[in-house]
Amino acid sequence: MTALCLMENVKKTFSLGNDVSVEVLKGIDLAVDRGEFLAIMGTSGSGKSTLMNLIGCLDVPTSGRYLLAGREVLGLQDDDLSELRNTHIGFVFQSFYLLPYATVLENVLLPTLYREKGGGHIEKRAVELLHLVGLEKRMNFRPNRLSGGEQQRVALCRALMNDPEIILADEPTGQLDSKTASEIINLLAEMNKKGKTVILVTHDAAIAANAQRIIRIKDGVIINE
Amino acid sequence: MSSSMSRLLNILSQSLAAVIALKLRSFFCILSIAIGISAITIIVATTEGAFQKAFDIVDIFGPDAVLIVGGSEESRAISRRMKTLTLADADAIRASFGTAYMVVPMSTVRDVAVSYRGNRYSSQAIGSTNNYSVAWSWPVVEGSDFTEEDLKRAANVALIGNETMLELFGTENPVGKFIQVRTIPVQVVGVLMERGASMGGGNLDNRVVMPITTVMKKLQNEAKYIAVMRVRFEDVENIDLRMTELKEFLRMRHRLPDGEPDDFQVFSSKDIIKFLVALTGSLIVFVGIVGIISLVVAGFVLANLFHLSVRERTGEIGIRRSVGAKKRDILYQFLGEALLLTTAGGACGFLLGFAGAKLLQKLADFPIYFSWKAFVIGLMLSWIVGIVFGLQPASRAANLKPIEAIRG
Repeated sequence: MTALCLMENVKKTFSLGNDVSVEVLKGIDLAVDRGEFLAIMGTSGSGKSTLMNLIGCLDVPTSGRYLLAGREVLGLQDDDLSELRNTHIGFVFQSFYLLPYATVLENVLLPTLYREKGGGHIEKRAVELLHLVGLEKRMNFRPNRLSGGEQQRVALCRALMNDPEIILADEPTGQLDSKTASEIINLLAEMNKKGKTVILVTHDAAIAANAQRIIRIKDGVIINE
Repeated sequence: MSSSMSRLLNILSQSLAAVIALKLRSFFCILSIAIGISAITIIVATTEGAFQKAFDIVDIFGPDAVLIVGGSEESRAISRRMKTLTLADADAIRASFGTAYMVVPMSTVRDVAVSYRGNRYSSQAIGSTNNYSVAWSWPVVEGSDFTEEDLKRAANVALIGNETMLELFGTENPVGKFIQVRTIPVQVVGVLMERGASMGGGNLDNRVVMPITTVMKKLQNEAKYIAVMRVRFEDVENIDLRMTELKEFLRMRHRLPDGEPDDFQVFSSKDIIKFLVALTGSLIVFVGIVGIISLVVAGFVLANLFHLSVRERTGEIGIRRSVGAKKRDILYQFLGEALLLTTAGGACGFLLGFAGAKLLQKLADFPIYFSWKAFVIGLMLSWIVGIVFGLQPASRAANLKPIEAIRG
């Protein structure tokens, strides 16, 4: 069986203008199988965020190969990348990124707005997800009435809404206290048990320890597995 | 419903949510658009009003008619109308112009107190010959026009306008009844059809039309001079030639030496339209400039607020892009917000303009006419402002790179 994410010699160069450019990723080889719980560790500036952006199709490699669910990502148009993100990836970010003027339920429903195929029962599914994280009673609240941990749980529901294969979490506990942080990590582990591939990006070794596999990245290369 | 259609509706629902949520931004956008659109609305309504009025006037005036007014152009301008036209002039024109099938002299007395059994009203008395109704194509709906005999005798008889009738008689039939005009008892012989629209301020339906002899003798104490004269020609095609002939004829009769200006003025329906257009035209230009400037300013206000909004909402744009929004989804959302705001601004502006136009009509006696045109033009302009000034910030939002939006 081929890997869900397969990267071969992936490089990413950012141009700073005036013919100056920085190579942030210097040849990454990575294979992530379905159902894995993977942590990517590294200090800031190591290239781990860039790697996460590439895995999540927020950006495309400068060179190399990247197959996501069997599809070559390099050379895809912006619209195709959007569709890939919509169907295959669920993002969880450090600063939640909930829409302040939308209710909890509307925030969870956000990915369905951009779905190519409409599906029935989307609200029922959103309520079920909120029930799963214990927030269905607050579905008509605005995000500003929720605590940080609650907001991140809403963000998790949003990530799951379109039933993607991969949950991509970028420092999901960075703004949370340790108790709330472990709740979020437990939820991620639970998602993983239900079959989701979870990729966790963090600089915190204690958080990374929850994953089955840890890769470390430094100066744009993977230094150990 | 097709899936792309429902996607667009979904995205527009997001625009609406943002418009409702960002109240302060919405308020300023709507306000600035509304000011511009209200000015435009007034212009359109005034332009249309001027045209409407022109049509009304041509209709009432008759394309085959000319109006001769006593006094030179200069004396009219300072509103001191010199008396120069006489009943004898009218008779002479009638005798000398073969194609003048109707020559009707007229005198007007404004603010005349009329009453009937304690009902008082202020009206205007108009002195005319016995064919008033035909001369002005104005049907008598009850009773009949007064006769040549009435004219000769300077009889105390009158035709009254619809409004005058309602004010004095209510539902009572006025024909044959006596009313007081100032201190003179006058018998009502007929009622003129309702004309409705006002023309140049005075209400057309409030008038008491009497034999000109009666008005001159008993209201004006005037033996010779009349105010205006209306002449209708059978040969409409020669109306310009007839006007020139009329001028020469009157100059001769009034013994004006060469070089002396006319002591009368001759108007055709065309001249009246020109006068009205000149009157409203300068105002239309002024309000038009104000309107366009304020719309452009409104556009910049919109563009500015949207630029700020895009900057503040990079996080929102980032999360939308990362859950699968395409560039055009973002573009449509922000453009949708701009269009919703300008549409609301346009609607508010129309209401504001409507109120402003009514006020102008009351205060300055402006010809105002509202039709769907004023509304549609206002709406179109607000959409144009929305698209022109909303497009740039919206495309900036759409072209934000997802990674930069998320980082921001």
